[in-house]
Amino acid sequence: MQQQETDLALITAVLNGDTAVYSELVKRHQRFVFTLALRFTKNREDAEEVAQDCFVKAYRALGTFRQTSKFSTWLYSITYTSAMTALRKKRLTTVSLDDETYTLQPLNPGSASDADTIDKKSAYSYLNIAIDSLLPDDAAIITLFYKGEQSLEEIGQALFMEPNTVKVKLHRARVRLKEKLQSLLKDEVKELI
Amino acid sequence: MKTIEEQIWDYIDGHLTVEEKRTIENKIASDAAYRELYKELSAVNLHLAGMETDMPPMAFNRNVMEMVATEIAPVSLKTKVDKRIIYAVGTFFILAILSILIYAVSQTRFTSSAVRLPVMVIDFSQYFTPAFIKIFLFTDLLLGFIYLDSFLRRKKI
Repeated sequence: MQQQETDLALITAVLNGDTAVYSELVKRHQRFVFTLALRFTKNREDAEEVAQDCFVKAYRALGTFRQTSKFSTWLYSITYTSAMTALRKKRLTTVSLDDETYTLQPLNPGSASDADTIDKKSAYSYLNIAIDSLLPDDAAIITLFYKGEQSLEEIGQALFMEPNTVKVKLHRARVRLKEKLQSLLKDEVKELI
Repeated sequence: MKTIEEQIWDYIDGHLTVEEKRTIENKIASDAAYRELYKELSAVNLHLAGMETDMPPMAFNRNVMEMVATEIAPVSLKTKVDKRIIYAVGTFFILAILSILIYAVSQTRFTSSAVRLPVMVIDFSQYFTPAFIKIFLFTDLLLGFIYLDSFLRRKKI
């Protein structure tokens, strides 16, 4: 709530002519917007372009921001639109969960040294790989739900979907993630999760 | 009908009613399969909650601010729409409608066998010259373009 109030105060300052303050808003949200863009584009260069485009569009439209919702929700809806436009332009191919050509090799369940190396960091990197292998919409929903502090309604608002659709997609994404982690890590999945 | 997994996810997410919550808690306590699945999904949930977001390149903020510097500074929509403009446009249209109405009424001859109303004939043709009509249409066109421009700007965002 405090964060939201501060965002609104910054927006008011920008609208009153103190445009340099916008840098603070960018700093605050850049990490998440970039991550969200990455869920769609699957590569850092394109994600950077989408995230920059998103912040510029948000700046242009700042005067039209209705302060009845969270700034972050509004910003994520712009990110979603920008990312979808970029996707359509580039016609990026996404890697399906069922894609047999997926290059990541599962760990050898018999190797004790491999099992030992599954520390927290690698667990998260496997998680990120698994998320990246989801459909863009599903990956975005997972990210918004867990890291964006967004409710199902807010996610629906950002991605132009019904909250029920978001819920179904969230469930489907989590089922797939679990399956993916199990296929990536074989027996180690029990230790990981 | 929800699957067991859906029910447990709803429980973890806190999307259940008090009654449903109690039912799931009982099942977790009494059914080993339920309990096992609950542990598994809770662990997945924990890891998802702990995932890290990606950091954009160092120059990201600076690049955005450089791009933003070339843009027109945003202003609140409330201050952007000057009320005087709205009143002027409104007055123009009201006057235009009234003029047309008066002209139409004045050109109508009211005749009745019972009552004979005095007929007032005003020759508006001296006012509605071709030049006046051209100016009127041009102003309409101009207002139309202004509206179209603001509409497209909003759509571009």
